Amino acid sequence: MTVTAEPTIAETADPAGVRGLLFVRDRGIFVLWAALLIGFGLWASPYFASLDNALLIANAAALTAIFAAGIAVGIICGALDLSIPGTAAMAGCVCGALMTHGVPVGLGIVAGLAVGVLVGVLNGLIALRGFNPIIVTIGSLSVLSGLAAALAGGYTIPGLTGLMFLGTDRFAGIPAPVWVVAALFVAGTVFLTRTRDGIRLMAVGGNAEAVRRAGIHADRYKVLGFVVSGFCAALGGLVTAALVTEANPAANPGIIFNALTAVALAGVSLAGGRGSLPRVLVGALILGTIANGLTIKGIQPYWATAVTGVLLLASLGLEKWVSTTVSRRLVVAAQDDKKVTR
Amino acid sequence: MTESVLELRGIDMHYGYVRALDAIDVTVGHGEVVGLLGDNGAGKSTLLKVMSGAHQPTSGTILVHGEPTTFASPSDSTAAGVQMVYQDLALVEAQDIATNLNLGREILRKGPLGWLGFVDHKAQRKRAADELDRLGVRTAPVTRPVEMLSGGQRQVVALARAATRVTGERNGVLLLDEPTAALGYEQTRQVRALIRRMAEQGVACVLVTHDLPLAAAVCDRIVVLNRGRKVADVAAAETDNDQLVGWITGARESMFC
Repeated sequence: MTVTAEPTIAETADPAGVRGLLFVRDRGIFVLWAALLIGFGLWASPYFASLDNALLIANAAALTAIFAAGIAVGIICGALDLSIPGTAAMAGCVCGALMTHGVPVGLGIVAGLAVGVLVGVLNGLIALRGFNPIIVTIGSLSVLSGLAAALAGGYTIPGLTGLMFLGTDRFAGIPAPVWVVAALFVAGTVFLTRTRDGIRLMAVGGNAEAVRRAGIHADRYKVLGFVVSGFCAALGGLVTAALVTEANPAANPGIIFNALTAVALAGVSLAGGRGSLPRVLVGALILGTIANGLTIKGIQPYWATAVTGVLLLASLGLEKWVSTTVSRRLVVAAQDDKKVTR
Repeated sequence: MTESVLELRGIDMHYGYVRALDAIDVTVGHGEVVGLLGDNGAGKSTLLKVMSGAHQPTSGTILVHGEPTTFASPSDSTAAGVQMVYQDLALVEAQDIATNLNLGREILRKGPLGWLGFVDHKAQRKRAADELDRLGVRTAPVTRPVEMLSGGQRQVVALARAATRVTGERNGVLLLDEPTAALGYEQTRQVRALIRRMAEQGVACVLVTHDLPLAAAVCDRIVVLNRGRKVADVAAAETDNDQLVGWITGARESMFC
């Protein structure tokens, strides 16, 4: 049978307008942060724009950033992990309890991180049985905070001065938590964007069925998402314990909402499959920047919370507007292409 | 007829007392496009599912490249080079075209970074672009996310992905169920041209459709089923619309009685 040769539609670059809008969608949070820095720099001059203050902001944002990384990887892989505060408390208490019984610091830290990995594996295996991950992780949140309290005997475990190198110590003038955050985000970003397993993890969050049909064990990557999230939670718990040199068995659900705010500001879709860790980091830094700048100007801290909320809602609106505009422009562009080739 | 890629001999399929397929013989040659026509309930989709391994026939033999094979599951048929093309569930929306085409057969970097699982993005993009070029369907940059593609472009990427999976050492067969059902005129034309181009490169297709003009334009051979029996098996060039409608509705005598 004959089919007339189809004119090959030439590869076309995106129109400039679309590229601009995509820049706003993918890089807008960096622009927003830069604007905030410049704004506060002028308004709260000369105290805001100094190296010391920058380190202050980074240090204040560090804990939020660690937990936000855990939440973000969970969501990207398709599951919101609510057990993070419980895992953090449990990891801190396991490490603290071991250290008070004379176990070396290094071993205590490894044990704490192992708790995070173990919790992730269990969460993942339970969620694979077809249960809703949110309910599963709420359950493990309760179990973990109960276990942590039992382990610590109901009180905080004090005197963990051996952990100070993760908390209040400075290396090359930079606070330890900032180093931890830097290492975590570099490793996480490289993993998600450059390695086979990271790319598959993101793909599973986007469309697990398509990944399965490509002949990949999608379930393994779902568990891996929980493991990464549990690891970040444990790391956050250890840094929390290090900052105050004591391990608190009470899980603090507030850290989820702080971290979720940073993740949502970063435009990580709750539907899964998309998101980037550098943007999550900037999301956490924006929260820290607003709180810091307003404090310098002597404005009550509750205004910082309100401003953050407004920013979050505004970013949602912007994202919606950009995606609808982009898809509309692309449809128009595709129709123009056809007219040319015909 | 060239060497047969997929051959079905005497396929029977019973659901209880219902005979869904009755002694069906179908041969698909190398790079041949076979249209499977029939009214609703004639057994087209059942036959396609037997070919894809989703259903096991009650009796009969399946031969791939001349060797008898049994498909216990869809992954068996995929391994043998017979692949069903799924329309909606095949692509990861948030990822770009290159990543989608390379999913499950990623190219790792050379040296120690490769041992750690680092992906060679540049090589992957090049391979994806080459494969799309070979099929003549590069409609958008391979770095464009699938969510930004039109329905026709997505169907093209899904087809290309399936095609790249059956072109190993020996070219295989793609199974398509109503590939143009949800597409507009222009997009249908594009998918039609793609099927022909894949056939020229040696990828055979079995195409279930209700669209007679599409079948006439794209198929080398047309098989018509009526109530589970094969009533016609003709070269597309030797038949016409009226004959086909006759076989489909049962108004025309079967070729095999």
